[in-house]
Amino acid sequence: MARNGLHLITPTSIAYTGTSASISANGSVTFSAVSTLSLNGVFSADYDNYQIVMRGTPSASGLDTYVRFRSSGTDDSTASSYVGQYLYGNGTSVTGGRETSAQVRVNTWWTTQRDGHVVNLYGPFLAQPTAGRSITVNSYTSASIFDMAWTHNQSTSYDGITLYVASGYSFTGRVAVYGMRK
Amino acid sequence: MATNGLVVMTPTSIAYSGTSASINADGSVDFSAVTSLSLNGVFTGDYDNYMVAIRNTANGTDNLCYRLRSSGSDTTTSTYTRQFVYANGTSVTGLRTTLTLAYINAPYNTQSIGTALYFFGPYLSQPTAARSITVFDQSSAGIYDNASTQSSSTSFDGFTLLTEGATVAVTGLLTVFGFNQ
Repeated sequence: MARNGLHLITPTSIAYTGTSASISANGSVTFSAVSTLSLNGVFSADYDNYQIVMRGTPSASGLDTYVRFRSSGTDDSTASSYVGQYLYGNGTSVTGGRETSAQVRVNTWWTTQRDGHVVNLYGPFLAQPTAGRSITVNSYTSASIFDMAWTHNQSTSYDGITLYVASGYSFTGRVAVYGMRK
Repeated sequence: MATNGLVVMTPTSIAYSGTSASINADGSVDFSAVTSLSLNGVFTGDYDNYMVAIRNTANGTDNLCYRLRSSGSDTTTSTYTRQFVYANGTSVTGLRTTLTLAYINAPYNTQSIGTALYFFGPYLSQPTAARSITVFDQSSAGIYDNASTQSSSTSFDGFTLLTEGATVAVTGLLTVFGFNQ
């Protein structure tokens, strides 16, 4: 018998800084003019791997979007614990770079058009290092590619994630977390 | 109870140029030797974001593209901007262009190719973004990923898959999924 392979997960709670955010009846989260958005209780032992799908627009162009994992309502901001490798396609220029920080940058939002993200997370609830991979369309000069692969070196079980932009700025859109049946 | 995350979107109708195309009982669409394939009624107000899984072969070399459509008509103005990243052996290149369509892959008629195409907000009355992740068959295997935006604030209920030159025909199967929200 065929079984549903991807489950939409409803956060047990959310927290945000900004104008508004709410959980829809099915589990996605819409947010308006927030600078931080935390989703609690989206990772569990029911799934190893997850996919996050997000669309949105920022309050200003060139606004970096960051991710941190969180556990029991607290972000993990351990220094240098997130290492990301990006691939950036901007016109005829294709470049890469590696970033080590207390968070990981998953996109740079632009107001030109519309932005979209798909993020795969591998094992965030497991008490071992976590891997992530994001693919994006960002709207710098109408269309650019900014993809990031990252690892997080803490052997902590995380049940949530925080998305945020620089203080004083905000973003608006919708995000949903899906668990991949194992 | 867990909520289904991906929902198959069965087209309300299809149109094509070429040999044949049909909607299967499970909502996927088979197509054989078509130069264009239009899917109507696959984007709705129920979902913001979509994924299209496409596998196909081709009878020549061309770009595989999409156009968004509304009420049975494609948008054919120069409102699509796309950025590609192209990996061919040790060469990695990119380019941004604004066109009357957006590229998603490029069959070379040597193997089968595959595309995961994501649409962000096509049914919303605001600009649409799309992103494709591909395997294509130049020298048997390459990467030709595209990001694109469509600048009009139109609500689209479908899209057309087409080859750019309209002479190379493609054969395969595609399925449109809505991300439940």
